[in-house]
Amino acid sequence: MPGRILAIALNTFREAIRNRILYLLLVFAVALILCAQAVSLMTVGSEEKIIKDFGLATIDIFGVLTSVLLGIGLVSREIERRTVYVLLAKPIHRAEFVLGKYFGLVLTLLVNTAVMTAWFFGLLVAKGIADAGLAKAIVLLFLQFLLITALAILFSCMSNPIISCILTLALYVIGHLLWSFDLLKARLTSATARAICTVFQAVLPNLSHFDVKGQVVHGLPVSAGDMAFAFGYLALYGTAILLLACAIFQRREMQ
Amino acid sequence: MAVLELDSVSKSYRTHLSLRKYWILRDLSFAVREGEIFGFIGTNGAGKTTTIKLALGLLFPDNGTIRIFGADAARPAARRRVGFLPENPYFYDYLTGYEFLDFHARLHGIPAAGRRRRVTAMLERVGLGNRADRQLRHFSKGMLQRIGLGQALIDEPALVILDEPMSGLDPIGRRDVRDLILDLKARGSTVFFSTHILSDTELLCDRVGMLVKGCLKAVGRVEDLVRGETPFWEVTLRWPSGGPPPCGRVVSRHEDEILVRVESQHDLHRLVSTLNGGGARLLSVTPARQSLEDLLVREVRRADGGEKDADGEEHGGEGHGADEPDGAPTGTAESDTVGERRAADAR
Amino acid sequence: MSAAAYRRPRRLPLLAAALGLLTAAGLASAGAAAARRADGRITPLLYLPSGRYLKAAALGFDPILADVLYLWSIQYYSNYRIEDRYLYLEHIYRDVITELDPRYVDPYLVGALIMTAEARQPEMALRLLDKGIEHNPGDWILPFEAGYVCYNDIKDYGRAARYFEIALRSPEVHPAVRRFHAEMHNRAGDPRTSLREWASIWETSDDPYVRTVAWNHVHDLRVEVDITTLRHAIGRFVAARGRRPARLEDLVAAGLLDALPADPEGGAYAYDPARGEAAYRGSRILGR
Repeated sequence: MPGRILAIALNTFREAIRNRILYLLLVFAVALILCAQAVSLMTVGSEEKIIKDFGLATIDIFGVLTSVLLGIGLVSREIERRTVYVLLAKPIHRAEFVLGKYFGLVLTLLVNTAVMTAWFFGLLVAKGIADAGLAKAIVLLFLQFLLITALAILFSCMSNPIISCILTLALYVIGHLLWSFDLLKARLTSATARAICTVFQAVLPNLSHFDVKGQVVHGLPVSAGDMAFAFGYLALYGTAILLLACAIFQRREMQ
Repeated sequence: MAVLELDSVSKSYRTHLSLRKYWILRDLSFAVREGEIFGFIGTNGAGKTTTIKLALGLLFPDNGTIRIFGADAARPAARRRVGFLPENPYFYDYLTGYEFLDFHARLHGIPAAGRRRRVTAMLERVGLGNRADRQLRHFSKGMLQRIGLGQALIDEPALVILDEPMSGLDPIGRRDVRDLILDLKARGSTVFFSTHILSDTELLCDRVGMLVKGCLKAVGRVEDLVRGETPFWEVTLRWPSGGPPPCGRVVSRHEDEILVRVESQHDLHRLVSTLNGGGARLLSVTPARQSLEDLLVREVRRADGGEKDADGEEHGGEGHGADEPDGAPTGTAESDTVGERRAADAR
Repeated sequence: MSAAAYRRPRRLPLLAAALGLLTAAGLASAGAAAARRADGRITPLLYLPSGRYLKAAALGFDPILADVLYLWSIQYYSNYRIEDRYLYLEHIYRDVITELDPRYVDPYLVGALIMTAEARQPEMALRLLDKGIEHNPGDWILPFEAGYVCYNDIKDYGRAARYFEIALRSPEVHPAVRRFHAEMHNRAGDPRTSLREWASIWETSDDPYVRTVAWNHVHDLRVEVDITTLRHAIGRFVAARGRRPARLEDLVAAGLLDALPADPEGGAYAYDPARGEAAYRGSRILGR
């Protein structure tokens, strides 16, 4: 079984590479350099913080966009293009197919993030402002990408790319706004309504666990406990989503 | 032993917006025996592809069971010894020929040690040895068909399922596919293929199943299905005298050649024996044999005749053969159809 | 069949038209923006909601949003052609930028600078700096700036001294801040504390320049404190005995002083019995 998942994963990775998605990385590299230069002209005060913020934010956005835009097509495009027939006619479980596609995109994200990180750190070292703490933020961002990809593939197993895109992006936005449920609960009087809010907070993906960009740029520590929690949360939530995706795909009819 | 077995399989679908069910397959039962070539024929939209998808676990039946080598078709293990080529091959076009077959070899669990050798051998076998490094997006349709056969056969399957393998191919391609199917049988594989080109079937298949509007109308050996009395003969004569022939009906006349139809063996003998004299000469005698095509057309027309009832569900006509696995009676072929065809052949 | 050659559809006119339209649109847009800037119409960015709500829109990108708004604010407030540009000054810095990233120190400093130097609103600057101090407890620059504003713009030396104390809590504080702090007490009218501070600086510093400066202050403050002490004692003597003392030693004899203070050179202070005033025989270093 792992051999088949690996075969599909490597294939998915190969497709992403040959679709020239890596050109995005070039855009990233150039954008980062330009920003660094522009900022040093425009700011009063230290440029260090702004360059670090910009680098982390760009890695974040590029990763999220890659996760969403490639993730929503992982399964639905295969069905739409009918390439899935000959694959599922092989002696493979449908779950192996879903997992293979997922890990293929994970591999793509890993390569993308590694290249962007290397370039970013190179720039920081050249300017003499490198800081190893930034790596922690990037690791957590990568975990966030894994979670978003899982959501994207779940929707990909269910519906067409447009709906998948809207739903995945909606969950991304909500995932960063779960703190607002606390504000809401403070204003609600009914206990039932507060309970509903709590349920939402628990069930919806809480992406703020993966966001320590502000902290590391200010040099504040990220505890090992926080990192471990983020890993654990991803493991639990991500596995649940993937299981759901496999279950849905298991009984999907290939018309 | 039955390699592929369907038992009372029904399949319907519902469009998103309406609650109405459309039955694609109704109570379908047949079995494919080991080592035979089984042709699955029917008009477009009869449900052949749906049947194949059900057999491969791509769709799930509403009722009934499907078994491959005795195992439930929905389970992946059932497909371990199965190779499949879909009708219009859609493959990953960014892969090269070699990468594509290597990928499928991995999915079959062929270990790395012998994989390279087998992939290269398969590329040679399907005639794409020199295209191993070209991406599939640059392949012609015929080449895609061949690489598709390559992935279907990469693991030496005991059952090969082909959906319309000869559609869209030129005569050379079709002959190649025909030879391939015969070769597979020679090696001991079972072949199940669907087609709407009936001339191939008659030459190739041990048995056929005929699907009309989701119901199996006939199953059995070709000879058995089309067995029956020869309804008439068509005789071409040089008949300079211009008058009517002693028996039979003149269908067409061209200068001093006439085409005569005689309805019975007795009339035929009479006609031929009275030829000597008057410059008359026998040019050809052709018995009108009912073909599979005639049978299909007749069944289709019969199915159309017993059309929709008030609920909109479609019934088949009085189908026969669904309950009798072997042999089905034939009736008189539609003379017009055959006559037109023979006349066209004669010109 | 005509013999005319087949002419491929030309792309150039379409491309040229597209480029021309784009240029026109770009120029028009730039022109409109320039006109807006020139007549000082308020840009929509000033209507930003409070940072708390902006945080929601930022989706975890608060720090970079704060950076961008900060960069914008610098450009905006450098534009002298916009009148009334300080209308939303406090809102921008205190309620938006620093709300998005309270630990970003530059906006507090630059904002306070603009508020004091250009908008002439030192209290506004202090409100901003207070917020910065609250969110950045280890930072010394923010309280130092606040102290400086009190010293330079409001002339409230006591308040300045309190800010400098906050700055001194940080281990990385610049050594000059201690000197500011010491001097503030003097200006606030508390020379004794000032003397103590300066003495401490003189004792603990290794830098000869600093020691010289400290000694100068210590010297003059010693004199001032001593003269003040003597004056108070003389006053009490007069109030008790109804006459001025004949000599300074009488104050000791009367129990109003434990001992006569010596001047920094070790000599004695002069005394004029006719007027009942003590004086310093030497000259003050700092000439005050």
